[in-house]
Amino acid sequence: MKITSADDLEAARQAGLQKLQPGKPRIAVGLATCGIAVGGNKVYERLREIIKRDGLDIVLTKTGCIGYCREEPLVNISIPKKPLVILHKVTEADAEEIIKQVSRGKVPTDKALCRVPSWDHITGCTLEYGKGFTRIPLYAKVPFFQDQQKVILRDTGLINPEDIDEYIAVGGYKAAMKVLTGMDSEAVIKEVEKSGLRGRGGAGFPTGLKWRITRDAKADKKYIICNADEGDPGAYMNRNEMESDPHMLIEGMIIGAYAMGAAEGLIYIRAEYPLAIKRLKLALEQAREYGLLGSNIFGTGFSFDIGIATGAGAFVCGESTALVSSIEGRTGRPHPRPPRLTDVGGGLWGYPTDLNNVETWCNVPVIIINGSDWYAKIGSEGNTGTKVFSLVGKVDRVGLVEVPLGTTLKTIVSDIGNGGANNKKVKAVQTGGPSGGCIPVRMFDTTVDYESLNRVGSIMGSGGIVVMDEDTDMVDIARYFINFATGESCGKCVPCREGLKHALLLLNRIMAKKGTRKDIENLALLSDTIVATSLCGLGQSAPNPVLTTLAYFREEYDALVKP
Amino acid sequence: MTPGEAGEVDTPKKQVTITINGNKYPADEGEILLGVAVRNKIAIPHLCYEPSLDPYGACRLCMVEEVKRGKREMTTSCTLRAAEGLEVVTDTPEIVKHRSILFELYLAEAPKSEVIKAMAARYGVTKTRFLKKLDSTDLLGNKCVLCGLCVRACTEIMGAAAIGFVNRGPYTVVNTPYFEPTKDCFGCGACVKVCPTDAVEMEDAGDTRVMKSWSGTRVPLANCDCCGKFFAPKGLATATLARVTPSLREEIAALCPACRGKRIAREEILALSGGAERHG
Repeated sequence: MKITSADDLEAARQAGLQKLQPGKPRIAVGLATCGIAVGGNKVYERLREIIKRDGLDIVLTKTGCIGYCREEPLVNISIPKKPLVILHKVTEADAEEIIKQVSRGKVPTDKALCRVPSWDHITGCTLEYGKGFTRIPLYAKVPFFQDQQKVILRDTGLINPEDIDEYIAVGGYKAAMKVLTGMDSEAVIKEVEKSGLRGRGGAGFPTGLKWRITRDAKADKKYIICNADEGDPGAYMNRNEMESDPHMLIEGMIIGAYAMGAAEGLIYIRAEYPLAIKRLKLALEQAREYGLLGSNIFGTGFSFDIGIATGAGAFVCGESTALVSSIEGRTGRPHPRPPRLTDVGGGLWGYPTDLNNVETWCNVPVIIINGSDWYAKIGSEGNTGTKVFSLVGKVDRVGLVEVPLGTTLKTIVSDIGNGGANNKKVKAVQTGGPSGGCIPVRMFDTTVDYESLNRVGSIMGSGGIVVMDEDTDMVDIARYFINFATGESCGKCVPCREGLKHALLLLNRIMAKKGTRKDIENLALLSDTIVATSLCGLGQSAPNPVLTTLAYFREEYDALVKP
Repeated sequence: MTPGEAGEVDTPKKQVTITINGNKYPADEGEILLGVAVRNKIAIPHLCYEPSLDPYGACRLCMVEEVKRGKREMTTSCTLRAAEGLEVVTDTPEIVKHRSILFELYLAEAPKSEVIKAMAARYGVTKTRFLKKLDSTDLLGNKCVLCGLCVRACTEIMGAAAIGFVNRGPYTVVNTPYFEPTKDCFGCGACVKVCPTDAVEMEDAGDTRVMKSWSGTRVPLANCDCCGKFFAPKGLATATLARVTPSLREEIAALCPACRGKRIAREEILALSGGAERHG
């Protein structure tokens, strides 16, 4: 079936709603990589066996991840006229009990994390589930969720990512239809500009402006690329976005392609994300079947399709010029800019190319549906919208956290994350991946936005927040990240290739208690030069963990060296 | 594409005036700043710059400060292009500080390179505080600084791609695939010529050219029909001859440059003397 009119889209929407609320019990197991890792697949299989064995009229399906990693595997249960209930830490052994309860119109209350009486998917669809189960806490009262605002993760963990109908059911592809059938390129770009959306890959470049530059570049062909080469240790926002709601990304790219006049898009995704690749491929296939990709989309004459390019395990390929080299089949080594990707001669195969991060694309449909004014009200001045962070490390509540930009570190780590794991005191966080800085707990009033994080020597990056507690050795942390950066340096320019290596040697010496004060001084000097002279962002930011730990935890270095 | 680059060969390039260290210099618009500096004998150290190749920006030694709206920004002069009003300074305390550290890194990376030692010394750096990389098995004699010129000359100019970068990051080296002798090498020696630190070695031994740095790659040499001397790699000679006009090809084929010169001289004499052979 090809969707060519609003009626067609509505028909698909109704079909999807029927799947989400089938008028009988529906059990959805959280099967993103995180859920699978802790046995979600086994739970799913066991539930399937029991339903089959007993011949029950229960719908069993998959969903993505709602973000509460610590509580995985998560299982959603929706019984007609009752709230959706999310069960947590479910094991195979719980399966019999779950089915027993569900077939009686109940849920195992002791396994319940929270209930969702209704859910606003914010794309013009609020799903009403029902009332009851009042002994189970409300979703909005769960400490992990109550300070969060889900804009990007609006559907994750609630819809089946392998079924386009469910995405359409909650308002999906309405933005794409609105754009393609009723807006011109300028209107779309203006809307994105007015929303204040900035690149979520880390640099925070205004998205609308990048789109405008790409559109205005004079060339007979243009490309758009999604950067899904998420490689920061401990960061997995993009993975979940793709595994749990792949159509959100595809829809964002369709809108971008239309605005910039691109006929071809690519998703550059790391090979280490096999499930995300699988789900994206499936989603692309389904979108093509519905005529949402391919030629003559919605019968408007606009044609666009998306391909997938997989990386081969190099962190540096997240850098724009290295990424393009990698797609073209060359070694992933950055080259000096300009030419930028958006320039004629600078992008993929020499054509002007717009590169945006997964999460940037994911913001687009919701901006179009609700308008730039609505979006610009979220977050703070100059830092609009929400951002998904992966809150990991020695924190009590590990998970994906979505908050408006401008939220303080304290809210994220202490309120949402509940401080250190095992009642340990939190000492610092590291934001922005391996090239981010370590921010001490006394500075947790710092708001999480592009500028504030830069001011304290760290970066937003793609959104990793690694928590360190009182037992964490900060020199060792610096060494860990320098070791990572050294291994991921492409080896092209000398400060990054040789400088990081020597920084690592110095750190090793200091850690082995064989260092001197002179070594600490040299480490600081060397770090400055690496920042100032490296060719690309990897080298320019790699010493941040050293520089910030030297600034905020100097006493830990001093304690390791001879006086 | 910057104006003045390929595709606009016929239009004369616009002249601009740029300022280096307070002095004004004429330049073609879009010309690489480092090239202007070299032409005007302004000392900016550099290792990976080669006018016949695209800017690469890897050695980071040619950093200058660009003065932009009263602010100064460090950037590499091999990637900076001349534009009207461009102003740079070359030896600020900031540049000297970072450049000295870079020289120390080079001294540690290529401790056997006399070129690096001399270059660093010119900028007042004679010692390195960093651990020297000394590997007795290094085919490049602990002189390579990975500027990439040999790889780029081999790939982009010669089209042979016989050598390339192996590994990544601090483990990067230049060599043939799998460190095995390669048949892709023409033995042209471009790598030897472009190497700024004299790290690449080759040697002619009888009828063979040995690319000592490239895992013992051997290239057969052609010998002169006249004097019998080995004078050029066989494959390269054939490829080069294929590009010259057939009549000339016949005349000079299989002769070493010396014998070619002799033959041409003799033919010239014959022509001048009207072709008469007095002792025929």
